[in-house]
Amino acid sequence: MRFADKLRNYSIAPAKPLSLMDEEQVKLDALVIGGGPAGLSAACAMAGAGMEVGVLERGEFCGAKNVSGLLYTTVLSEILPDYLESAPLERPVTRRSLAFLDREAYWSVSFGSEAWCEKPYNHTHVVYRAQFDRWFAGQTEELGATLLEGMVVENLLYEGEGATKRPVGVQIRDDEPLYADVIVLADGANCMVTDRAINELNLSRGAQEQTWAVGVKQIISLPREKLEDRFNLEPNEGCAIDYIGVPFEGLVGGGFVYTGRESVVVGFAAKAETFKHNRVSPAQVMDAFIQHPAVRRYVQGGNLEEYSAHMIPESGYRAIPEMVGNHVMIAGDAAGLVNMSMYHEGSNHAMASGRAAGETAAVAREAGDFSKEALQPYVQKLRASFVMRDLSKYKDVPEVMDSVPELFSLYPSKVCSLLIDFFEVSLRSKAEVQKQAIQKFLSGVPKLKGIRDIWKVRKLI
Amino acid sequence: MGSELLELSLEDKLYRTRFETDSDFHHITVKDPVCRSCSEKLCLYICPAEVYKPNPNDSHLVTAHYENCLECGTCRVMCEQEGIEWRFPNGSMGVKYRYG
Repeated sequence: MRFADKLRNYSIAPAKPLSLMDEEQVKLDALVIGGGPAGLSAACAMAGAGMEVGVLERGEFCGAKNVSGLLYTTVLSEILPDYLESAPLERPVTRRSLAFLDREAYWSVSFGSEAWCEKPYNHTHVVYRAQFDRWFAGQTEELGATLLEGMVVENLLYEGEGATKRPVGVQIRDDEPLYADVIVLADGANCMVTDRAINELNLSRGAQEQTWAVGVKQIISLPREKLEDRFNLEPNEGCAIDYIGVPFEGLVGGGFVYTGRESVVVGFAAKAETFKHNRVSPAQVMDAFIQHPAVRRYVQGGNLEEYSAHMIPESGYRAIPEMVGNHVMIAGDAAGLVNMSMYHEGSNHAMASGRAAGETAAVAREAGDFSKEALQPYVQKLRASFVMRDLSKYKDVPEVMDSVPELFSLYPSKVCSLLIDFFEVSLRSKAEVQKQAIQKFLSGVPKLKGIRDIWKVRKLI
Repeated sequence: MGSELLELSLEDKLYRTRFETDSDFHHITVKDPVCRSCSEKLCLYICPAEVYKPNPNDSHLVTAHYENCLECGTCRVMCEQEGIEWRFPNGSMGVKYRYG
């Protein structure tokens, strides 16, 4: 279907043609590129303010191309306060664990709270993004935005030169262009449209070049009772376990296991560059992880439902580009707004940034000014919010992770073997056992380096 | 059953993921001259779906089995020589996650 027909179906009247455009051309108040959490949040804010908004999504439906595990819902709870009633959420995360893996041994710490088992569940849920984003898109549509799914945006269309150059619309593959006063770029991690727009509009890139982590995961179905037994969960409980250690040897990254209602998510994310140095493939690492005794016990006997992969922009604060240009704002993963510390926060930032962009566009529309200056409040809003404060606090994380690769395999495995050696039951005296265990623990790492590394690693917390 | 899950090959795993293959549009094109001069061939092991395989007819080249592509884009950003022309599949085509 041509987009114009689609628009008619959604009963959006074509706006008055711009002076330079012929009568056939359709113009909306705003176009959003990408129907993920950032784009949909932007669309909600703009549609809520009475703007005509189109959300362009290349997948058959919003979410069809999207992958992630945990969702922090603090921003969502403000955008759609009733989300707990209708959103397709899996289990809330009522218990979190961190596990260290040696070759066969493991050590983990768990913590949880009864309070997390009650609304709003510490604002942490396991979600399946293909389902969640589709639901979010439906809610966005109800607020008055138009979903234009199955449409691939190739490029923005521009007018003017130099400082006055501005996008006026989007070029859609095998279809007619579509025009708007303002464009929100929310095309995610693999952001080819944003990338070209940054070049075209001469926006400054971050001080550091963006680098990516690659994430892979498997979704394994398991009967509910079996799942609850294995993870020691009540029906309204769920858990999230983070793993570092031997399966990720040589990589900068770690694994995770999350519980869905009747499924278990097993996956990992690691800096793409580090596969290069180790010449291992993500699929091999996935196998090593899922076959680890500490992990396989959770999933064996289950059925693989899906295998998925996605990139994560992981350079944080220092790689964030200029997020505003004439008539355009960049939000979410496309702007690199991901916190790669132990909190792994991305989609919540995406929603916060999308909403801020949408609100800014609505104010700009009142004033009839979408210039770069007029859209600056978007950046100011983000700077004043937890998004930029957190990203700024964790700006050293990528550097720390690069400089202490031992953190992801050697140190976790040392901690494991220290405990295993300590608790090995034998005929030797305890003093002897303990002395040897400590000697083994301290071997192989210069003392000063160990202390320096511990000091560096505090920045991840 | 239990051992079955843990012994699935990558091919088996990808079979569980839903794809709508567009036989009219190959969204990945390897630029052969660039590929031939590349000694690293990072694409052969960085791809989570192992889309890239050595070309059976010419060991200096790789072929892209685009129909298995999970569209993460890792190959695109990691090929320093920019030897991979990676475009989005046509609208609604390609990988279609049920869970994501």
